[in-house]
Amino acid sequence: MQSIFRTIRFAFQGIARNFWLSVVTTSVCFLTLVTVNAVIILNVIAIASIHSVEDRVHVDVYLKSGTTPAMESSIRGYLTGLDPVKEVILIPADDALKDFKARHSNDPDVLAALDEIGENPLGDALRVSAKSPKDFPFILQAVNTPEFSPHIKETGQTNYDDVVASLTNLNTKVRNGGTGLAIFFAVIAILMVYNTVRVAVYVHRDEIAVMRLVGAQGWFISAPFLLEAVIFSAVATGLMAGLIFFLLKIWEPFIRIFFTGVNLDLLSFYTHNGLPLFALQFCALAVLGMASSAAALRKYSKI
Amino acid sequence: MITFENISKVYRPDIHALSGVSLHIRPGEFVSVVGASGSGKSTLAKLLFAEERPTSGTVKVGDWDITKIHHSEVPHLRRQIGVVFQDFKLLPQMTAYENVAFALQVAGAPGSRIREVVPQVMKIVGLGEKLNRFPRQLSGGEQQRVSIARALVHRPKIMLADEPTGNLDAVTAQEILSLLKKINEFGTTVVLVTHDRDIVNALHRRVITLQDGRIAGDAEHGKYHI
Repeated sequence: MQSIFRTIRFAFQGIARNFWLSVVTTSVCFLTLVTVNAVIILNVIAIASIHSVEDRVHVDVYLKSGTTPAMESSIRGYLTGLDPVKEVILIPADDALKDFKARHSNDPDVLAALDEIGENPLGDALRVSAKSPKDFPFILQAVNTPEFSPHIKETGQTNYDDVVASLTNLNTKVRNGGTGLAIFFAVIAILMVYNTVRVAVYVHRDEIAVMRLVGAQGWFISAPFLLEAVIFSAVATGLMAGLIFFLLKIWEPFIRIFFTGVNLDLLSFYTHNGLPLFALQFCALAVLGMASSAAALRKYSKI
Repeated sequence: MITFENISKVYRPDIHALSGVSLHIRPGEFVSVVGASGSGKSTLAKLLFAEERPTSGTVKVGDWDITKIHHSEVPHLRRQIGVVFQDFKLLPQMTAYENVAFALQVAGAPGSRIREVVPQVMKIVGLGEKLNRFPRQLSGGEQQRVSIARALVHRPKIMLADEPTGNLDAVTAQEILSLLKKINEFGTTVVLVTHDRDIVNALHRRVITLQDGRIAGDAEHGKYHI
């Protein structure tokens, strides 16, 4: 126990004696975490955006004019009972016509045909939302039964596939680019810790020589330097966590406005996942730092 | 106590620091190892506290063959051999007390033992009143006494003094010598590595003379002859 306290004391002494070098090393560790958390935040935003778009995807089942309420109810009940279906909403005929016209706004023949008819040829419509966009083909196929198809005028699916694909693509690119940047900063952090320990070993060379002379165990000599790397990591992670929560508290209202329509709550994300996330970041940084310290110690001190 | 069996040490590319050195030092002896610069005195000392490994031969401390000592056992050996150097090797930012306590701290000694042992040892070396002085506030002789005190805190069986008077004037050197004799009287084996003729001649103890890495003389009550 005494040795542990002494190791901790020697580690803090080492940091104090190389204060500015320690500050720079901690800053680089901090920058690494900034990049990592930027990637995490962009990932959360991208996933929330994709979900938001996916939530808007639906299939409209236009019923023929004159379809009886009983048949409407039967079709609605059938669709609601399908496992992939999340929700079925009844759209009145007038609203269904507006949607139909909007959907075919680029199709003059259809619009002309509607004008020719002069009255609403559509009955009510059923707006079907799926649990996953992948389920729409199944739903479209399921509704096309001999029992129901005579009452269905048309089915139409909003096409957000391109948007989802673009967002997914963008998310992948951001994640890959961010990961590359994070690795870049991590490498710099490793080199900085390595250099810091190298300088620390030089500064402490007399102390190390005396330690060896009077019979200090190798681990006792190495431990303060390894602990320094852990302290750099802890301070960097603490600063990062503090900054994240501080900025999110201030910016949360603006973020909500900026991403209106997207179910995005970054503060809540970090409140619920912050502990494991930052613990993981701290552990990764500490392991990298200790490995770097161990390498520097092996090379620059004969322990 | 200490046995060197046919020890040779070659530094690359082709420097023969020691060649076929064999000697035995009995428990409680006070032995001076003398020789000109480059005769192999310091190499002999380094082999004794496992700072260097011999190219061939065996060094034994008691029954312990320290030429085959594992890396992790070196600290245990060094706690049994107190080492004193010409340049004192004190830490300037620590007081005399802290320098001595440091040797116990790094060995994991409890605080209560440190508080008990350090003042005792400092009193033995005559610095009981200067515990809180920094090395820069002490004379050369006093600094060497702190260094001896640090070497003594582990109550070593062997005290190895490598040119301990090299930086000191004649009077102070005699004081340090007296201290080493006192330590020897308590039963500690003392190995004094020196090229100080006056010191060796004043001792009237065993003298091992090294010349060109070989033993040129080994006299029970010897004098400095080179």
